[in-house]
Amino acid sequence: MLEARGLGKAFGALEVTRNVSLSLPAGARHAVVGPNGSGKTTLFNLLAGELRPDYGSVLLAGRDVTRLPPDMRARLGLARSFQRNNLFPDLSVRENLALALAIAQRRGAVFWRRFARLPGLAGDVEALARRLRLEDALGRRARSLAYGTQRQLELALALAGAPKVLLLDEPTAGMSAEETAAMTALIADLPRDIALLIVEHDMEVVFEIAQRVTVLDYGRVLIEGTPAEVRGSEAVRRRYLGERVP
Amino acid sequence: MDSGFLLLQLLNGLQFAMLLFLLAVGLSVVLGMMNFINLAHGTLYMVGAFVGFAAAERAGSFWAALVAGPPAAAALGAVFYAGLLRRMQQAGAMKQVLVTFGLIFVGIDTVRLIWGDYEQTLPAPSVLAGSVHILGQVYPAYRLFVIALGLMLALILHLGLERTRLGAAVRAGVDDRVMAASLGLDIERAFFAVFCLGCALAGLAGVVAAPVLEIYPGMDMAILIPTLIVVVVGGPGRLAGAFLGALLIGMAETFGAVLVPDFSGFMIYAVMALALLLRPQGLLPARHSS
Amino acid sequence: MSTGERRQHIVAALLLLAALAAWRFSGYAGEDRLGEIAVWAIFAMSLDLLVGYAGLVSLGHALFFGLGAYAMASLALFLKGSPSLALLAGVATAGLSALAIGAIVVRLAGVFFIMITLAFGQMGWAYFLRARAFGGIGGMSGVRQIDLGRLGLDLANPADFALIAIIAAALVYLLLALITASPFGRMLVALHQNEHRARALGLPVQRYKLAAFALAGALAGFAGGLQAQRTGFVSPELLVWTTSGEVLIMVILGGLGTLVGPVAGAAIWVVLRHILSDMTAYWMMAMGLFFIAVVLFAGGGLMGLARPRAAADDA
Repeated sequence: MLEARGLGKAFGALEVTRNVSLSLPAGARHAVVGPNGSGKTTLFNLLAGELRPDYGSVLLAGRDVTRLPPDMRARLGLARSFQRNNLFPDLSVRENLALALAIAQRRGAVFWRRFARLPGLAGDVEALARRLRLEDALGRRARSLAYGTQRQLELALALAGAPKVLLLDEPTAGMSAEETAAMTALIADLPRDIALLIVEHDMEVVFEIAQRVTVLDYGRVLIEGTPAEVRGSEAVRRRYLGERVP
Repeated sequence: MDSGFLLLQLLNGLQFAMLLFLLAVGLSVVLGMMNFINLAHGTLYMVGAFVGFAAAERAGSFWAALVAGPPAAAALGAVFYAGLLRRMQQAGAMKQVLVTFGLIFVGIDTVRLIWGDYEQTLPAPSVLAGSVHILGQVYPAYRLFVIALGLMLALILHLGLERTRLGAAVRAGVDDRVMAASLGLDIERAFFAVFCLGCALAGLAGVVAAPVLEIYPGMDMAILIPTLIVVVVGGPGRLAGAFLGALLIGMAETFGAVLVPDFSGFMIYAVMALALLLRPQGLLPARHSS
Repeated sequence: MSTGERRQHIVAALLLLAALAAWRFSGYAGEDRLGEIAVWAIFAMSLDLLVGYAGLVSLGHALFFGLGAYAMASLALFLKGSPSLALLAGVATAGLSALAIGAIVVRLAGVFFIMITLAFGQMGWAYFLRARAFGGIGGMSGVRQIDLGRLGLDLANPADFALIAIIAAALVYLLLALITASPFGRMLVALHQNEHRARALGLPVQRYKLAAFALAGALAGFAGGLQAQRTGFVSPELLVWTTSGEVLIMVILGGLGTLVGPVAGAAIWVVLRHILSDMTAYWMMAMGLFFIAVVLFAGGGLMGLARPRAAADDA
């Protein structure tokens, strides 16, 4: 569903992404890990369309989207969440969800009837809220929510469009143990056929969710394989734990 | 168009450019450092001219105007900065722009209150009142003085920016304010000093322009937009940008008024629009970090 | 309907009643004032759509105000056509110009957007200042008025004009109230709140900004046409940047993004201007100080003051 072929990006003299390739078929559960500065965020942004690569290409459902901006990729079925909550802060949770749904359903151009009365929208909002355990917060302003609840809303917005490809940027960032467990459960509950790519720091989450893992190191792919392969890899151990080769 | 005419227009263009430069420098650096457009910048120009005029009348000498005008403008700027601007740092760009917009109205009427509605004249000093022969043409000495003054100030400012600690702080602040502050450079004081300096230059421009243009309430509005255009075209935050932009606009205005008078007013704004579209960071961008 | 919307409509209804009462009981001068307020109210509401809802701060909105006025006046004059058609043509001219210019300017944001709208506004002003075909600095007078004789109304009579203008303003309010409550209107609010996220969700943000810009321009053109009808002349002053500034002041005074606030803001500013200019030759200073005070201490405008300190948590 989503494919990156030899992506590269440099900022000035600094090569942040070096010849990275990965492949995400439907139903994939793929994690990208690596220490700070390894280029995870840049890769993520290249896939989402926030950045243009210097070389390489991105394919979505077989179609080359390398030149397409984020909103076009979203309309083609790619959704992403943000590492730092990126909500509509002064609007209610209900309206946040409603907007995301309306955008995904391409109903934003309607100007002749009230937004609240769009047929089916209220029902869709309730359903989405229930899926993400947000029913109790619907009337509250987004900025007033607890951090963990905001993260749930963050995920809900990304899911509103029933995407084919979902990119999650550190979904458990800043969460307590219980919140992390709840989020992990939500992620595990995602539709089977969604292609999921998750950038994560928390290795436990990674090993619980991921079927394949890509390890980045200074912008290039160090290794890609199953979680077990990665865990057992000598190269990874050296990099992550800093053991010097004698 | 013969070469004599060309030379005259070049000199006129250069003279106007120097005026624009003096005005643009303050506005540009403030925009680059604080991301703030001071629409009341023209008010300082006007205040400088009027205060200078009053001083010249009292003392019977043009040079009194040069001495009185810039400090008056700087003082006013300082009061505005300390009293209003600093408090509004968090308020957002739009509020700052709106407040300065309100100040324009206040400024015009204050000047009217003190000096009345009519035009005032500040004649050039007698030593510069004559004409000079230059390259086969006759040209007013005062205008040459304006050109010389502008160039000299440009040089002084350049040296100040490159060679002094204050200048280094300013350059750092324009480049990356957060970083500069975290390095312990006293950014706040640098900003304040630069702001006041910019106001003083605007006041100076007012005095210097007086013998050539008119002094009247509302002169600030006439000069504000061309100044804004210079800042946009040259690139906010850089001295060289203000200088280059001023040259371009000064020449464009002067030659435009002579060659295509019906179009020239329109043309200036078209240049601004084009600059914003094609090269919003200006001809000489300040920001090196992305 | 949310509490905010309900409050909006109640205030609007009250303002309409007040306007009609004032119309009924005031004399010549009052009626003239009412007509002026109604025209500026339409102008201000159109800008609120742009600034308050979509978050695009324009310092050049008077361009479309003036274009509507000049188009209406010149088409009625030169083509000897029906003035009412000319008014419609004025709206169309303003709207299409806004579409064309908007396509260029909505790419920019923030301070740059302010500056480029300023530039375009001044381009228009500079053009009409020199354009002999349109009267140059003196403008054109003798604008033909729409004949409403069949309704028993004469637009040359301030009372009749005021009534028509008030009704026009009410209709514009209803139209904009519907649009701002529609999905399109909420999309504008969304991209104002968080353009980045709206784009990431798939909203073609530029298209929506352009639509808002064009609609706002068309409505400003309508106000301009009405202005030409009211005063009987058009001049470059209609497009100068201080006119753009004044209408922005009205919107801020009344309350950004409240639609009805700008109507109140227009009323206050027009009345204040007349009272102050009668009292003192230095009314600009008073207005400037007043405006600064509003920006500093009552950033939400009148509607912001009217809103009770509700629980900030609940929306």
